[in-house]
Amino acid sequence: MTKPSASRTKTLAFGAWSVLKSFQLTIVLLALLMCLVVFCTLAQVEMGTQGAVNAYMRSFVVWNQPLLLRLPFPGGALVGLLLTLNLIAKTIDIKLSWQKAGMWLVHVGLVVLFAGEFVAGMMQVDTNMSIEVGQTVNYVQSYKEMELAVIDVTDPVWDEVYSVPDTMLSKGRDIAIPGTPVTLKVKRFFRNAQLSNLMPGAPPSVATMGVGPGVSVVEAPVVSADNEMNQTSAFVEPVAGGRSYGVWLASVAIGAPQSFTHEGHTYALVMRLRRQYLPYAFTLKQFRHDVYPGTDIPKNFSSLVQVVNPSQKESREVLIYMNQPLRYEGKTFYQASFGKNDTLSVLSVVENPGWLLPYVSCVLVSLGLLVHFAIVLRRSLKRRQDKKEG
Amino acid sequence: MTFVQKYLAWGAGALALIIALVFALPTGKARGFDVSGFGTLPILEGGRVKPLDSLARNSLLVIHSRQGFRHDNRVVGPDEWILDVLFRPQVADQQPIFVIDDPDVIGLIGAKQTKNRNYFSFADLSSHLEEIQKQATNAQPIPAQKRTRFQSAIVNLFDRVYLYYKLRNTLQLAGSPGLGWELQSLGSPDAPLRHQDLMQLAQFRMLPPPGGAGPDGWQNVGQALSASQAGAPLHPGLIPLAKLNAAYVANDAATFNQTLRDMNAVVSQLTPGALAHASNEVVFNRAQPFFVGLSIYFVAFLTLCISWIYKPDLLRPTAYALLFSGAIVHTLGLAARIILQGRPPVTNLYSSAIFVGWGAVILGLIIERMYRKGFGTAVAAAAGFASLIVAQNLGTEGDTMEMMRAVLDSNFWLATHVVTITIGYAGTFLAGSIAIAYALRKHIAAKPDAEAEKALVDMAYGIICFSLFFSFVGTVLGGIWADQSWGRFWGWDPKENGALLIVLWNAIILHTRLGGYVRDRGLMVMAIFGNIITALSWFGVNMLGVGLHSYGFMDKAFAALTLFCLSQLLLMGICYAPARFWTQRPPSKA
Repeated sequence: MTKPSASRTKTLAFGAWSVLKSFQLTIVLLALLMCLVVFCTLAQVEMGTQGAVNAYMRSFVVWNQPLLLRLPFPGGALVGLLLTLNLIAKTIDIKLSWQKAGMWLVHVGLVVLFAGEFVAGMMQVDTNMSIEVGQTVNYVQSYKEMELAVIDVTDPVWDEVYSVPDTMLSKGRDIAIPGTPVTLKVKRFFRNAQLSNLMPGAPPSVATMGVGPGVSVVEAPVVSADNEMNQTSAFVEPVAGGRSYGVWLASVAIGAPQSFTHEGHTYALVMRLRRQYLPYAFTLKQFRHDVYPGTDIPKNFSSLVQVVNPSQKESREVLIYMNQPLRYEGKTFYQASFGKNDTLSVLSVVENPGWLLPYVSCVLVSLGLLVHFAIVLRRSLKRRQDKKEG
Repeated sequence: MTFVQKYLAWGAGALALIIALVFALPTGKARGFDVSGFGTLPILEGGRVKPLDSLARNSLLVIHSRQGFRHDNRVVGPDEWILDVLFRPQVADQQPIFVIDDPDVIGLIGAKQTKNRNYFSFADLSSHLEEIQKQATNAQPIPAQKRTRFQSAIVNLFDRVYLYYKLRNTLQLAGSPGLGWELQSLGSPDAPLRHQDLMQLAQFRMLPPPGGAGPDGWQNVGQALSASQAGAPLHPGLIPLAKLNAAYVANDAATFNQTLRDMNAVVSQLTPGALAHASNEVVFNRAQPFFVGLSIYFVAFLTLCISWIYKPDLLRPTAYALLFSGAIVHTLGLAARIILQGRPPVTNLYSSAIFVGWGAVILGLIIERMYRKGFGTAVAAAAGFASLIVAQNLGTEGDTMEMMRAVLDSNFWLATHVVTITIGYAGTFLAGSIAIAYALRKHIAAKPDAEAEKALVDMAYGIICFSLFFSFVGTVLGGIWADQSWGRFWGWDPKENGALLIVLWNAIILHTRLGGYVRDRGLMVMAIFGNIITALSWFGVNMLGVGLHSYGFMDKAFAALTLFCLSQLLLMGICYAPARFWTQRPPSKA
């Protein structure tokens, strides 16, 4: 009984293998990838780059693509994975002969390139750092994700920050803030909301403390385009030592500080872009925005930054400018934007452990193509010579 | 090929070169004034030092869509026109140079479409300036791709009128007695106000900085007057400029030409080299190498077409020689741009079109050397002609040698990434063109010629390999540049995606062929589709609303692009149809 089943498994495996290494699969996958690239490009107009990439390229299945009868479509991750398997199969399958050395290198290089994109998709973290001239900043912040920070501001020189990410707030459970006696009860959470002054006669706000009672909050659709920001807001009730401190409205749209005091500790409540604190700090010493004379065409942007890292006993100046980023402690800081009449510099910060892979791939593929061309050239020259002699 | 035929063929090529040379010769004086000498004076505009001639040509191109016009039964060139605008606005205002095509805009200014087509002078428009400005201000906040046709047209008209308005108030305030009077009334109480106006309205800076100061030191007339008012010594360029102004207004050509020499002396003394650089650029402007080149390509293509029915032994080499001369002119033009700008060949969409054409022509020449069947010549001439036409249409937005925005300001990456990827475009287009030639030939040729077909397929296949290599390497280099300047290798940005599509498509073609799923005909159909992919990623992605500013391009280009894609689909159908499609009746069911 076992024998036929084993052979069936064997044929099945063989069949799978021959599909996996087939040219048909390559072509189908490449065509699918082309479709995905077109979808993703068109979708960017509405969804913004990040939104479109997440929907089409970083997903396994696109359930609701608008361009082809809303049929489910294999996503970029799936196509990429299959294409990688196909590539590996092909690479193994290419005869290990010197004649094929070039093609072999090219395909290995492509596998590395795909791996690089996978690593970037899974592990790349994009944040930014905005510094005003003279300011010192020791954190990077997210572009879109929010956090509710509970900050112990009692000590005038040292803030103790406890933060709750928006994903946790959205679950609506009670959240005990570790290291403090405070527990936050999330009454309502809005990923995006429209805030306006509460009109007289309108139903009263859920909030009882701070600026909240005077504000009307209406839920709004979540936005993902690159230049739009969600006005994330939440009604929260801090409870400490069995005592409630009222319901507060925390929102990105609110600039005014709101705080309550419990047992001599003053806690501020702030909804803000999610921060990651760094063991080092940047001070912006100078920002330059040069234009070509007589025009407003930008010629150069540059930030002169003092990097202070106490753990390394390091303190030095760095000039970050166009095409010249600073790579530091696994993060790369790029000159990205500016504001406030050229006194604010925005650095985009990228952390991608796989950043070297495309470079490796580039070298492998170029080498492979050169080798292949050399082999082809040699062959054709030989053929020509044979013809002449024969 | 006999000796005489060879002579005749290369003689035709040489003749084309001589005609090209004639274009570069200086033009005569207009009404006795050395207008081209005046056009050679260097100015600072758009961040770079250039001859006044360049500004005049580009402004006239923006306003009038051409570099010259007929008025009072004679042709007015750009240099004469700019002189009138600068010094005799009352004359220039009467010249009908504003082209308005939109009927609603014509209705708005209360005019009927006159027999003189839709050309209007500034004087015609002057009573409607407020209305134009009001409508344009309403339309401006709307993103360019969401504007209605009327809104686009009114914004476009306003921009052109404003450019003209600035030009006529750059060296003197229009309506004032002139620059000489301005110099005499230095110190009068109402002078500073006028200096302020001059400073704000100036379109360019004409007064070079003394002694090697950087480009920031160039001054416009308003700045120089204002500095003198504040006690600084008078800028040495102001007096000859005022004299030029007076002589031109007084119609005194002799004094004008004499003073021009003084002005040249002042400029060369203050900023040595600027005048020489400017006059080189004037020669380049006058020669119009890309216009001449496309004309030669056109003649070469026609000659080759005729060669198929008449005297092939003479005309085919003639077409090749013509193509060769066209390529020389094209190459010289490209080289001149590189030298003048101090940049690698491709810096914007306009120059990419020129470079794509150049690459296709060079590849075509090589192919012709290898196969000698006339196909290389035909395809190269057609591709060179088409891409230079595209370039001519892209170059109507103003200065084509504009300064590079900050992130692009890297000669290394411009030279590697941009050039490689553009060669990839050129190759893909050339392969597509060969496939089109194959398709047409198949239906037109009287009897099937297996050898010729084989040659065409081989050419296309080889060029697709070539393009895959260049587009892949170019794309990866682009990724590395992106990693260097934005921190990510790949961001699925529309332009990146466009490049990726070309790579993927070329890879698909090669793999289907390698796997044996298509043969010659299928390969050619796919190569034609490559034209669509390349056109879309070259221009189409720009229309998604990223990085495009001008209405003129958007609208016209969108229609042109759609038309192009449809024509390619049609050609794919033609290519797919069997060769004896016309003679073989399909079997009827009845």
